[in-house]
Amino acid sequence: MKQREPRFARGSRLLMLLLAVCVLVLAFPVRSEAYAGPGAGFAFLSSFWTLFVAFLYSAYAFVTWPFRHLFRWLRRRKAYGKAQIKRAVILGFDGMDPDLAERFMAEGRLPNLAQLRDHGTFRKLRTTYPPISPVAWSTFMTGVNPGKHNIYDFLARDLNSYLPFLSSAEISAPKRSVKIGKYTIPFGKARVKGMRRGTPFWHWLGKAGIFCSVIRVPVTFPPEKFPGVLLSGMCVPDLKGSQGTFCFCTTRSHGDKFREGGVRVPIERRGAVYHTYIPGPDDPLQAGSGSELRVKFEIRPDTAKKQARINVDSEAFTLKVGEYSEWIPVKFKAGLGISAHGICRFYLKEASPEVEVYVTPVNIDPGRPDLAVSHPVTYSIYLAKLFGSYATLGLAEDTWALNEGVLDDQAFLTQCYSNHDDRERMLFDALEKTRQGLCACVFDTTDRVQHMFWRYLEDDHPAARGVPRDQRPQVIQELYRRMDDLIGRVRKQIDDDTLLLVVSDHGFKSFARCLNLNAWLHQNGYLTLKDGKSESGDWFEDVDWSRTRAYTMGLNGLYLNLAGRERFGTVQPGEEAVALKEELRSKLNGLVDPSSGKVGITGVFDCDTTYAGPYVDNAPDLTIGYGDGFRASWDSVMGKVTGQIFEDNLKAWSGDHCIDPRLVPGVLFSNRKIAEEKPAIVDVAPTILKLFGLGLPAYLDGKPWMVGMKVAAETTRP
Amino acid sequence: MSSPLPTYAFFSATPGFFRANLPLLLVVLVSAVIGLLMVVVFRYTSDQKAIHVAKDQLKAHLLAVRLFQDQIPVVLASYGRILSGTGRYLKLAFKPLLYVILPLVLLIAQVDRYLGYVPLAAGEAFLLKVHTANPDSLNEVTLQLPPELTTTAPAVHVPSDNEIAWRLMAAKDGDYDIEVIADGQGFSKRTVVSSGVPRVSPVRLRGRFWERVLVSGEPALPDSSPIQSIEVSYPARSIHFAWLDWNWIWLFFVLSLVAGFFFKSVLGIEI
Repeated sequence: MKQREPRFARGSRLLMLLLAVCVLVLAFPVRSEAYAGPGAGFAFLSSFWTLFVAFLYSAYAFVTWPFRHLFRWLRRRKAYGKAQIKRAVILGFDGMDPDLAERFMAEGRLPNLAQLRDHGTFRKLRTTYPPISPVAWSTFMTGVNPGKHNIYDFLARDLNSYLPFLSSAEISAPKRSVKIGKYTIPFGKARVKGMRRGTPFWHWLGKAGIFCSVIRVPVTFPPEKFPGVLLSGMCVPDLKGSQGTFCFCTTRSHGDKFREGGVRVPIERRGAVYHTYIPGPDDPLQAGSGSELRVKFEIRPDTAKKQARINVDSEAFTLKVGEYSEWIPVKFKAGLGISAHGICRFYLKEASPEVEVYVTPVNIDPGRPDLAVSHPVTYSIYLAKLFGSYATLGLAEDTWALNEGVLDDQAFLTQCYSNHDDRERMLFDALEKTRQGLCACVFDTTDRVQHMFWRYLEDDHPAARGVPRDQRPQVIQELYRRMDDLIGRVRKQIDDDTLLLVVSDHGFKSFARCLNLNAWLHQNGYLTLKDGKSESGDWFEDVDWSRTRAYTMGLNGLYLNLAGRERFGTVQPGEEAVALKEELRSKLNGLVDPSSGKVGITGVFDCDTTYAGPYVDNAPDLTIGYGDGFRASWDSVMGKVTGQIFEDNLKAWSGDHCIDPRLVPGVLFSNRKIAEEKPAIVDVAPTILKLFGLGLPAYLDGKPWMVGMKVAAETTRP
Repeated sequence: MSSPLPTYAFFSATPGFFRANLPLLLVVLVSAVIGLLMVVVFRYTSDQKAIHVAKDQLKAHLLAVRLFQDQIPVVLASYGRILSGTGRYLKLAFKPLLYVILPLVLLIAQVDRYLGYVPLAAGEAFLLKVHTANPDSLNEVTLQLPPELTTTAPAVHVPSDNEIAWRLMAAKDGDYDIEVIADGQGFSKRTVVSSGVPRVSPVRLRGRFWERVLVSGEPALPDSSPIQSIEVSYPARSIHFAWLDWNWIWLFFVLSLVAGFFFKSVLGIEI
C-alpha cells in the first residue's frame, strides 16, 4: 500500500516548485514579469519605509551628534565626576519578608540571596508608618516621611461626605465639554492629577544627566516627566477608573453580589450561541446618567472537547476549560468617534452544563494608551511592541477574584506568574538599555502571592482549615525560589561597577483574625449609630455623626471627628482632641482578643509624633499597629460597623502587612557591604543620590548608608 | 480578412469618454481586483501572527532609537536589529509571493496583450520584421499580403542580424493575416489595425517557450521552420494619468498597491 506523504513534506515540495518557477521566470526577464505584483510591493514598501525612517533618524542623529555628545559629555562629566558607582540596579520585591527569607536560606532554597547575605549585605529594612505599599514605596522614592509625600493609605477620606477616594491620583472628566440635551460631548482626554508629593530621586538623577529606567514602582501614576523612562505601577486604574473590576459571565442565575472587585454578568443563550458582554467605563456622552459602555461577545461551547470558541470584536479564539486567552484588545464605542481602548484576558471556567467565563479587569492598552501609563508615553508602546500586550493595571493580580471564589488557586497563580514573566522581560530589557545609571523595577508577585497563600504556611489558619497538611501546596516556598532564581539571572547581567540592591517595602505576617475597630468604637461609645440601628452599612451609612467622636476607615487609620475639619465634627481641636487621642491610645494599645488571649493591637501611633511635614493635616490622627495575626477587618476597612469586634478571617487573602510596622520590616540585600545596622526604606533615596555623587536636598528625612566599594566576586557572578 | 475580436466590437460600441479613457479605466479596474485578490491571498498564505510580531518588533526598535538616543551602544544595537528585523519581515512577506507570482505573471502577460501596445492605425506605416535561422535563407523569404495591406518600400535585408524588414500600410481597420513564405512553406502573422483596445500580439516565435508565453499571443512557429520570429512593430502604449504618461505596468503597480493597502485596512489583514 502506498504510504501517504506527510503534509508538511508535500507543502514544502510545492513551495520548492513555486520557488523554482519564480527563479525561472526571473531568470528570463522580459517585459511583463519584471513586475512581481502587489505582494512584493507591500513587502518592499513596508520594509523600505522602516529603513527610510531609520535612515532619516540616523541622518538626524549623525548631524546633531557632535552637539549632543558635547552637551552630554559636559553633563555626564559633572554627573559622574563624583560618582562612586556606574550603575545601580534596584529590585523591589514587594512584601518579601526577612524572616521567611532567612528561613528559606537556612533550608538552602535561596542560594543567590544567601551569597548576597554572606558576601554583601542582608538586613531588615525598617518600613513606614503604616507599612502599606503605596506609603512605603512613596517614601522609598522620595526619601521623606508620609507627612511630606502625602500618602498614608490606598484611600483618603472626603472631609465633607466621609466617603473614600483614591489617595494617589484623582481622575476627572475632560476640562471642556458641550452639553446638548441629555448628551455631553467631551473635548480632550480625562484629566489625571497626581496626589503624591515630593520628588522621586530619579528626577534628581535625570536632571544631572544620569539615565534612569524605572519600571512599575508603585504610586508613579500619573507618570511624571523626567529625563529617563518610567512605566507606572500600583495605582494605575483600569478602564472603568477603578483599581480593578473583574467581570464574571455566567449562565447561573443565582449568586451573591460580589462584595467588591467584580461584577456578575448574565449570559443569554440563543440556540447554540451564548451572548454576553464586558462592562466598560461610563458613557462619556451621557455623563452622570450611570450608563456604561459595553463590549458584547459570543461564546460557542464545544461540550465534547470541553472548550469554547469566543468571538469578541474582530478577535476569535478557542479556550479549553481552565485556560486563559492572550491579552485581547477591546474597544468601547461611545459614538461620535469617541471610544476607549483596553485589553483583557478571558478564562473559561466552565463549558458545560453551565457556561462561565471570567474576564480580567479591562486594562489600559499599553500599545494604544487612552491615559498615559508611562513616561514618555511611547515607552509603554515600545514595550508592547517588543513583548506584546501586558497588564497595566496597578493591582494586576486579581486577588478579589480568588477571594470571591471566581478563580481557584491555580488560575490565580497562572495569572500572577504570567504578569511576573512580562515584568522579568521588561527588567532584562531595561538592564540591557541602561548600561549606566539607574535601573529600578518592582515585582508585585511577592506581595500578591503571600497575601493569598499564607494560609498554607500555617498549621491552623482559619482560611485553610479542612485542608490536610500534606495537601497544602508550597506556594510561598516556590515564590521565594523563583525570586532567588531571578536574582541569579540578574547577577549574570551586572558587573563590579554595579550596585545591586534588593529591597522590599515591608514584610508579611498572618492575617487570621479580623479586628473591627468601628465595632469597638461603637461599643465603647466613641461612634454612635442612628437611632434604632445596631449596625451600619458601608461607608458609615447609618452613623450619627453628630454623636460620633472617632471613626476608622482604610487599613490603619483612625480619625477623630474633629470640629472645623470634618463636616459634622464634634471634637474640639486642642486639648479635647489631644485628650481623646491619649484616651484612645491607652485603651486600644494592648487590646486583647478574648478567644485566644493574643494582643490584637501592639501599638497606636499619634500623627503629631509620627509624621512631620506640610501634609500632616491629611494624616490619620492615630495609626493603628495591629498585632501579629491580626488586621483591620474587611468591614472596618470599608467603614462598616458590625456587632463583632474580633472574628476569623476565612478569605483566601490570608496574609497581610498592614499591622504594627515594627513587626513587618522589609528586606535589604546588596552585593556590597553596607555598614548601617538599622537601615530604613527612607534611606534608599539619599543613599543612591550620594553614590552617584549628587548633593542631598535638605528636606530629605533619610540618611545615606556607608556603602563599601569593594565587591566580592561571589556577589556579582553566581 | 478575419472577423474582428469581440473586444474590438465591444470597445468600438462604448461612448466617447469611455472609449478615450478605456485603457486607464481598465488599468484601474484590474488594479482594484488584483489588489483585493492579493491581500486575500496574502491573508491565507502568510503567517499573519508572525508578520504582526515582526512588524511590532521593528516598530519597537525604531522607538528604542528615540527613547535611548543618548546611549550610543543601545542605538547601534537597535539599528542592527532594525536591519535583521527587516530581513525577517521580508522573508515572511515574500512567502505569499511564491504562491501568486506564477498566476499573476500569466495574468499580467494576458492583460499586456491588450494594454501593452497600441494597435496599428489605418494609413499608418509599420514594419514587419522576419528573423531567419541563417542569413542564406533571407533571399528566399517573401510576403503574401491581404488586399487591404500594401508595401510602401522595398524589403530591407540585414544579414548581420538574419533579418528582413518590410514597411507596410493598412487601408482600413481590421484583423489581417500576413503570410510569410520561406522554403516553400507559409507562416501567418496576425496584424491588428484598430482604434479600440483589441488583443495584440507583437511577435510570433519559434521555440523560446517563456518568451512566447509572456510576450506572444500566437501559436508557435513549427520547429522545422527556417523562420525564428515574425514581428510587427506596434507602438508601445502610454496612459496619461495624474499629469504623467505611464507604462500601464507601472500604473498598475501603483494603483494595485493603493487598492491593496485600502482593502487590507477594510478587511483587517496584516501585510
